Amino acid sequence: MRILVVEDESKTGDYIRQGLTEAGFMVTLARNGLDGHHLAMTESFDLLVLDVMLPDVDGWRIVQSLREAERQTPVLFLTARDSVDDRVKGLELGADDYLVKPFAFAELLARVRTLLRRSAAPVVTDQIKVADLVLDLLSHRAMRGGRKINLSHKEFCLLELLVRRQGEVLPRSLIASQVWDMNFDSDTNVIDVAIRRLRAKIDDDFEPKLIHTVRGMGYKLEIDDGS
Amino acid sequence: MAVRSAGRRPLSLNNRVMLFVGVTISLSMFLIGHLVLKAVERHFIEQDVGELKVITQAVEHTLQKAVNRSLAFSDALTEAVSGHHGVYFIVWNEDDELIYAPEDTGIAQELKAYTPLEDIRPDNLYNWKSNGNAYSGSVVIKNIGGRNYRIASAINMDFHIKFLINFRRSLWLIMVVAGAITLLAAWYGVHQGHAPLRVLSEAMRNIHADRLHVRLDTQTMPSELKPLVDSFNRMISRLEDSFVRLSNFSADIAHELRTPLTNLITQTQVGLSKSRSLDEYRELLYSNLEEQERLTKMVNDMLWLAQSEHGLIRPELESLNLIVEVQAIFEFFEALAEEKGIALVIEGSPVTVQGDRSMLRRVISNLLSNAIRYTNTGEEIRIQVGQEEKGAYISVENPGPAIPPEHLANLFDRFYRVEPSRYRDSEGAGLGLAIVKSVVEAHGGNVSVASEPGRTCFTVSVPIS
Repeated sequence: MRILVVEDESKTGDYIRQGLTEAGFMVTLARNGLDGHHLAMTESFDLLVLDVMLPDVDGWRIVQSLREAERQTPVLFLTARDSVDDRVKGLELGADDYLVKPFAFAELLARVRTLLRRSAAPVVTDQIKVADLVLDLLSHRAMRGGRKINLSHKEFCLLELLVRRQGEVLPRSLIASQVWDMNFDSDTNVIDVAIRRLRAKIDDDFEPKLIHTVRGMGYKLEIDDGS
Repeated sequence: MAVRSAGRRPLSLNNRVMLFVGVTISLSMFLIGHLVLKAVERHFIEQDVGELKVITQAVEHTLQKAVNRSLAFSDALTEAVSGHHGVYFIVWNEDDELIYAPEDTGIAQELKAYTPLEDIRPDNLYNWKSNGNAYSGSVVIKNIGGRNYRIASAINMDFHIKFLINFRRSLWLIMVVAGAITLLAAWYGVHQGHAPLRVLSEAMRNIHADRLHVRLDTQTMPSELKPLVDSFNRMISRLEDSFVRLSNFSADIAHELRTPLTNLITQTQVGLSKSRSLDEYRELLYSNLEEQERLTKMVNDMLWLAQSEHGLIRPELESLNLIVEVQAIFEFFEALAEEKGIALVIEGSPVTVQGDRSMLRRVISNLLSNAIRYTNTGEEIRIQVGQEEKGAYISVENPGPAIPPEHLANLFDRFYRVEPSRYRDSEGAGLGLAIVKSVVEAHGGNVSVASEPGRTCFTVSVPIS
């Protein structure tokens, strides 16, 4: 998966490149709008991460050119400004998502993966298996080690999210947004409590442990092979 | 701030008053002058009429006497009006023969042409000029001793006219001088009248950002300026209030940022002071990350509040059923509430409002997480949703100790904490209720709080449409 990052702030650019590269993406970093515009128009990428505020050609201009050339590459905007107008303008110009600085890298990574997944063909399944955990997506039932596990509706949604995106670190804000449709930073530790309760049902009596806390970032579901 | 310019500068207050006074005085002076002149002229005419009547009467009388005593008319008439100056009369008999005429025959010629009058009135006198003199006269027919006589009388008007010309000249002169004096007096009066304004302006000049406690004295101001001074004082009060709050806010920000920054610097410096194991470095980074996230959240919340204060937060309105929204929030908090052993209860009837879903959820969530924080295990939090005349309301009520009344008014201020000792609570930076307030106000509503021992209730009211 090739990602073009256009970011003029050198430290931010370097770390985004490093982070995304280590997450397994091929990253090209452009440090100004002109290079970014040129790269976006001439080469093929699976995703663009654009800073809106660039000294020469701004992010809006790049996405505009891209859409005028009828290229549907998904675009994620990074901006220091958070106003509804900016957001509306970005989305109208054809941006797919929007992240306000300062953001957490885990949040960026999760959004990048969401956008890339959105552009890929959706996989239709009735059942997902991770180790000995089986999720029946039609009847909303979960089984582990052959034992039926009683989950509330939201607990099932939470588990489904973790399972579908296994191996990815999911920030708390993303979980709140995807499972409960709460699109704001909550002051509470609601997500931690919900995960703790889910863990008690899924992991406490079983091995290997599936749900893991990634400190300072969020949660992920992964088959812990003990390494 | 852009100052709207209307293009032309309005007329100064002084000039306005002067213009008004000038026009009024000129009009009234003109009117008075005109009336006085008319009255004087009419008075003269009436005097003339009286005199003409007297002459005519005297002539008639003399004729009567002459007829009775069979005297010669001309002898008798010569003495008829002796003693009067500038007075003339002519008498004709039935056959138009001149019986008596003064030496100046021009008068007889003139008067002969006029038709006799029934009665001598101010409006039917004959006026004419001859030989450079002006005359006024009348002609009547009188029956004396069975015969009709035509008696014409005339008065020399020169004296009257000369008087009138002089009188008119002095009258207008007096009027102009009086008008000028009045105008000057008015100008001085207006100037003096504006003196309190100059005093006020001088007092206002002395108010600076660091001297906002200064208030203007309303006692020494004329009653007309009292509302202005009152408004100005209120404006200064509001400014002072905002100023104090702003400087407190800056102090609060610095204070709130200092703790995480100190943690970051201290732990990083200690961590780097000697070589450590990989796990210790990892632990250090994690710890840093936690502080940084706290900072990020604080900065984001403050930016949000700053934007809403400048009216940059505009809700994306959609129809929301408040019951449905509260239930969604309950689902979100379900795990937390169950773990703390707190029951969440919703009461009320469905109410639909126009609001921003995400923002209103944030409001309810902030109030609910606040309530959960102060509620003990085994108790319940009650959310009521309903409609009253002002609009829709949501109230979040939790048991727990009363908030001291002196804190209630400031509860929605940024960084405000009831107990300073609860500083750096693990959750939130003291911005939750400030955000609640700004969201509700962006929706055109208001938020209030009531607290008594065992019960604290926050109520959010928003207009229905």
